[in-house]
This record gives sequence, C-alpha cells and structure tokens, in this order.
Amino acid sequence: MRGPRKLEVWKMGFVNYLDALKLQEKLVYNRKLCRIPDTLLSLQHPPTYTIGKRRTDHNLLIPSSELKNIGAELHYTQRGGDITFHGPRQAILYPIISLREIGLGARNYVEKLELTMIELSSLYGVKACAGQKGETGVWVGERKIGAIGVRISHGITSHGLAFNIDPDLKYFKHIVPCGITDKEVTSLSRETSTMLPSEEVMHEQLISCFARLFGYNTVVWKENPSILSDLEEIE
Amino acid sequence: MALRMWASSTANALKISCASKSLLSLSRCFATVLDGLKYAESHEWVKHEGSVATIGITDHAQDHLGEVVFVELPESGGSVSKGKGFGAVESVKATSDVNSPISGEIVEVNSKLSEAPGLINSSPYEEGWMIKVKPRSPSELESLMGSKEYTKFCEEEDASH
Repeated sequence: MRGPRKLEVWKMGFVNYLDALKLQEKLVYNRKLCRIPDTLLSLQHPPTYTIGKRRTDHNLLIPSSELKNIGAELHYTQRGGDITFHGPRQAILYPIISLREIGLGARNYVEKLELTMIELSSLYGVKACAGQKGETGVWVGERKIGAIGVRISHGITSHGLAFNIDPDLKYFKHIVPCGITDKEVTSLSRETSTMLPSEEVMHEQLISCFARLFGYNTVVWKENPSILSDLEEIE
Repeated sequence: MALRMWASSTANALKISCASKSLLSLSRCFATVLDGLKYAESHEWVKHEGSVATIGITDHAQDHLGEVVFVELPESGGSVSKGKGFGAVESVKATSDVNSPISGEIVEVNSKLSEAPGLINSSPYEEGWMIKVKPRSPSELESLMGSKEYTKFCEEEDASH
C-alpha cells in the first residue's frame, strides 16, 4: 500500500465558469508534473449551462440568444457527459487528482464520486443511489439529485460533480438534463424534511465524504485561494 | 499464424497469451495482455507490422473505463507524437484522453468506431483498433514495454488502492 495521502482543498465560493476552467487547466498541468498534491476545488457557479465533448446542442431547449434574458451563460467543455446546469445553491467539487497513483480507472473513480453524493444525502435521511447502466449520476427514485461530468488527461482528473442542495430547479426546464428525457431533477431540500445547515457546513460535509471515500489521510485547507494563483503557467 | 487457446479459468491463470479472438469470451478475472505487442504506461498498445503500426487501448484500459459510448479520433493524414493525445474515449460521463505511444503519420483511422464505440470493449486488440500510423522513428518502439513488463505494470498499478 502507498504512504499517507494528502489532499489540498480550495474553498472558492462563487467562481465564474471560465475562470474555474482556466484554473483547472493550470492545476492539471502542475499535478501532472507532480508540482502540487491532489487538489480539490469546492465552489459554486453563477447560472451556467454547460455542454460536454459530444456537443449535444439539441438538448438545449431555448435559443442561445435567450440565455442572457434568463441570466445564464453557456459553455462548451471537454468533459464527458451531456448538457447540464450549474447555479447558486448547487455544491460543486472539481477534484484534480492522479488516478494512476491510486490505481483507479474512470469507472471506479466515477463510482466513488457517486458514493460521495450518496453519503452526503444519507446524512439527511435521503436514500440516494447510483444510476442504472448508462445513467451515471445520483438519483432519489426517478429524480436526479447529483450529476457527474469528468475529464481524464494523462491520468489526471478535472471537472467533477455537482450536487443539488437547493438550486432554482426552473433552470433545468430549459434543457433535457444529461440528455435523459423522462426523468425529473430534484434537490436535497426537496427530498428531506430535516432542516439544512448553512451552505458552508454542507460544502464541508461534502468535502469530508469525498476525502474519506478516497482514502486521504491528511486534508489541508489552502489559505486564501485565488483564481489568479501563482501556479506555473502552462508551457 | 496458428492461434492457441489458453485455459484461463484457474485462479493462477497465465496472464500472457497469444492473439486469439476467442480468449476474450473467457473469464474476465485477468485482463488479457497479448504477446508480440508493445505497451505504453498510459495503457495503449502498438502492433508493428512492416511499415505500419496499429494503435489501440488495452484490455486493462477498456475494463477500467467501463462501457465506451463515444470515440473521438483524428483525421487520416494528420500526425501523432509520442506521449501526446490523439483522441479520446467517453464512458460513464468521463472523457479520457488517448495518447500515442509513438510518433508518425496517420495513414488510417477506424471509422467503425463512430457507429460502434463498444468494439473497444468487446475487441480492444482487434476490431477496436483506433489508428494506423507510419512510424517516424522505429527506436521509439524499443522504449515501450513488452507483454511481461506491461502485465507487471498493471498489477502494480492496481495494487495501489
């Protein structure tokens, strides 16, 4: 077995999607060269629709010209998965970790991301489970509570998971979420009768679930994380 | 070329085998590693025959990926560089880059993969081939792993979690 494993967590608050993307690219580059440890970004986005590598534009149900009117942006990405929405009160984790160092493939990695959200849900009495074959993500019955979209480059991960604490679900009406037509989207606040603590607490719980499931011995919180970090630039 | 069947149902089944179409239907306890191919640490294989090298991802790789639903490949006529990405596969909402073990010019691309990406899972060394390349420098092939080395590499990597 390997030695003790360290995770560095960046609690970032609200971050614009493109800024987060640029930061992840820098982190992936630095992680690949072993200049930084496994890193986890914890954040939220302003209202943003994102499309995966397969460019499933047909699953956006309103013209892109209308997006500004509803206060949302649209971005095309290199991650797997279909179209999804990110917004306030949705907890996002972007792990930038080396799968090779822990001997995980894509399938096992995604399963652990699903388990992370399932565990958090169970803290509030909500029985969530992983999707059926082909429907990666986390479900409460027929309703989707958490989404996953990942990119793996030279064994280093980017993008990650999005867990619906209490986002405005109306935004999901403008898309066919994850390309699945006949299923609803839900949130933790809809599914539980337990009163939810502050978002800060919930994000910390999500991070703890992640750290435990991925076997990190040490979790270090980065002081004053900034998107304008002093990481080495990509050559 | 005579193809041989290897019995792999016993627990200490041999992990190295000769190319055999029927092998992949047997027990999946151990990922198949073929003799005669060269392997990269990022789990791609190369089969060098004459002036052309065929490239794909290994059985170990496809098993760890899950069901492949989409394959992104470059255009024929383009070039690849050793260690650099040339395409990607998508499975379980994860897009994984595929890297070329060697440098060279792409002479053919497996167009079947756009309609049938699952060939990578069912036949990673044969029908699931991804690109064919004219190698730029044959010495690059020498620095890759042989089947025994690659088998050991996979064992060590899988033991780390």
